[in-house]
Amino acid sequence: MNSKLIKELPQLVKDQVITEDVARNIEVYYQLKQDDKPNKLFTVFGVLGSILVGLGVILILAHNWDNFTRATKTIFAFLPLVIGQLFVGYSIFKNKSATWKEASGTFLFFAVGSSIALVSQIYNIPGDLSSFLLTWIVLCLPLIYLLKSNALAMLHIVFATYYACNYGYGYFTMQQTPWLYLGLMVLVLPHYWQLLKNHPKANVTSIFNWILPLSCTIILGAFVNNQGDYGYLMYVILFGLFYNIGKIPFFDDQKLRRNGYLIFGSVGTVILLLWTSFNWIWEFNENNLTFASQEFFIALFLFVVTAMVLGYSYSKKWIKGFNLFHIVFIMFTVLFFIGTSNSIIPTIAINCIIFALGLITVKIGTDKFHFGILNYGLLIITALVVCRFFDTDMSYVIRGLLFVSVGAGFFITNYVMLKKQKSKLNSKH
Amino acid sequence: MKTIHIFIVFILVAVAQLILPAQMIFNQEDILKTGTAFKFKTQPVDPSNPFKGKYIYLNFEANTIKTTDSTWSRHEPVFVSVVEDSLGFAMVDKVTRVKPSNGDFVNAKVSYYSSYDKTLRLDYPFNEFYMNETKAFDAEIAHANAQNDSIPNNTYALVFIKEGETVLDNVFIDEIPIADYVE
Repeated sequence: MNSKLIKELPQLVKDQVITEDVARNIEVYYQLKQDDKPNKLFTVFGVLGSILVGLGVILILAHNWDNFTRATKTIFAFLPLVIGQLFVGYSIFKNKSATWKEASGTFLFFAVGSSIALVSQIYNIPGDLSSFLLTWIVLCLPLIYLLKSNALAMLHIVFATYYACNYGYGYFTMQQTPWLYLGLMVLVLPHYWQLLKNHPKANVTSIFNWILPLSCTIILGAFVNNQGDYGYLMYVILFGLFYNIGKIPFFDDQKLRRNGYLIFGSVGTVILLLWTSFNWIWEFNENNLTFASQEFFIALFLFVVTAMVLGYSYSKKWIKGFNLFHIVFIMFTVLFFIGTSNSIIPTIAINCIIFALGLITVKIGTDKFHFGILNYGLLIITALVVCRFFDTDMSYVIRGLLFVSVGAGFFITNYVMLKKQKSKLNSKH
Repeated sequence: MKTIHIFIVFILVAVAQLILPAQMIFNQEDILKTGTAFKFKTQPVDPSNPFKGKYIYLNFEANTIKTTDSTWSRHEPVFVSVVEDSLGFAMVDKVTRVKPSNGDFVNAKVSYYSSYDKTLRLDYPFNEFYMNETKAFDAEIAHANAQNDSIPNNTYALVFIKEGETVLDNVFIDEIPIADYVE
């Protein structure tokens, strides 16, 4: 794109669109920008290289070289660790570039894991995977702040998620709750905060905007023990929280693809609602639900936090007009508790909510002239219709008519909007 | 923060990263040097760990004890006193919730209590023996073959015990270390 522009410059000067000075300025500007780029690329490749080498070392050591004596193997256990530490020490002491710090830190991260793993291997120490991961993560946590390393912060989140999955979702460990995961996440937040404050528009910040909600979405289920039905409620509220965070102007004003919270919140809410739009979901045994359970208190906590974000957004007048998405979590919470005694009301209400969400999204899409949002809205309605297709107690004719009308809706709305857009463009010219 | 401060904190972190594996090694070596050796009859099976490599999972014969006490809960930590039987293999003497004052014992966990046959099953903290990735599967086969010869079960794990802590030193088939046996 830039090179194309630079190629056009002589022509622009020739046609007297811009002066020669401006052309030179533009050229110098892009030159400087270019000089800045290889640095970032180096960092990315440095980190990728370190990840691969680090994982490779772990695999080579996991082969178990049983020809070596215990002493030799012990030296091998420390070798990558010491090498990694020397590199990190050097880059801190000499205050090297970010590339150095990110790459050496990443290597050290894996070296720590490999040394603990190898010692466990040499002495046949069993120990489960989750406690091994936890030790590893904690030993590398300070490096995030010492090196101001984004790569290490990401590895921290990824491995904390791995730890929590292993701890909370394991076949024998269904009853365990990975509370320490919360602590690990809180400890990485200051780094994220710094990123949001200092580099809100950077690509690396938007990666965090995605992996944080992703990690929470994966792990929330591990906090469900016996009261599985509360899982629906917990997830709907979590997605409500994400949506409300994503709608804070700081995130909302950025490009949609940078806003993981909004997309997770919106898509997650719709999927959960579609899932609970089936009648059989609500036929759970209400006697199993108790208020004095861990699941209820987590749901309550999430609800309070989400309500606070929502309330704050209203008080700051960030929310203009009415958008059902903001308050779906409140409606669902009410329906959930109605659902404990009646399965018909929530089923019907949730179908209506999904339909309303679809219509509202279509409306937003047409107002903003955004084809993506428009079709997302239509997709919500289509998904609703497809779900009802599987409810066999509805007449074939009604289902058929529903399909035809939604299909027609797709054509008509897109066509009308395209026409509107064209006429708008024409009137501008 | 000044570079030198960051550096000092880093040195502390680096020392912690070194001390943890060193501490693990030191503990294990201490048990190997000063602990008591026991032979646990076993049956190996072959799984793997993504970070530590291939290992054989050991099913021990001496992992049960008859008891009428049915109050044991899963994963409850217990102290298992072990003694040698007439053939020189380890056997469970008694299982207690309080630390025994004398004799050799293992810090183990309750697997489950079967009220049907009034038996308490135990999980030992030395049930994984790490092997070269090419040998782990062969080891399982070798054990199965060794089962078919004249001696009933001749596979055992040599475990060093010191005040509850244990180190699994080696696994033997017909008195030959399992890694050499499969070669």
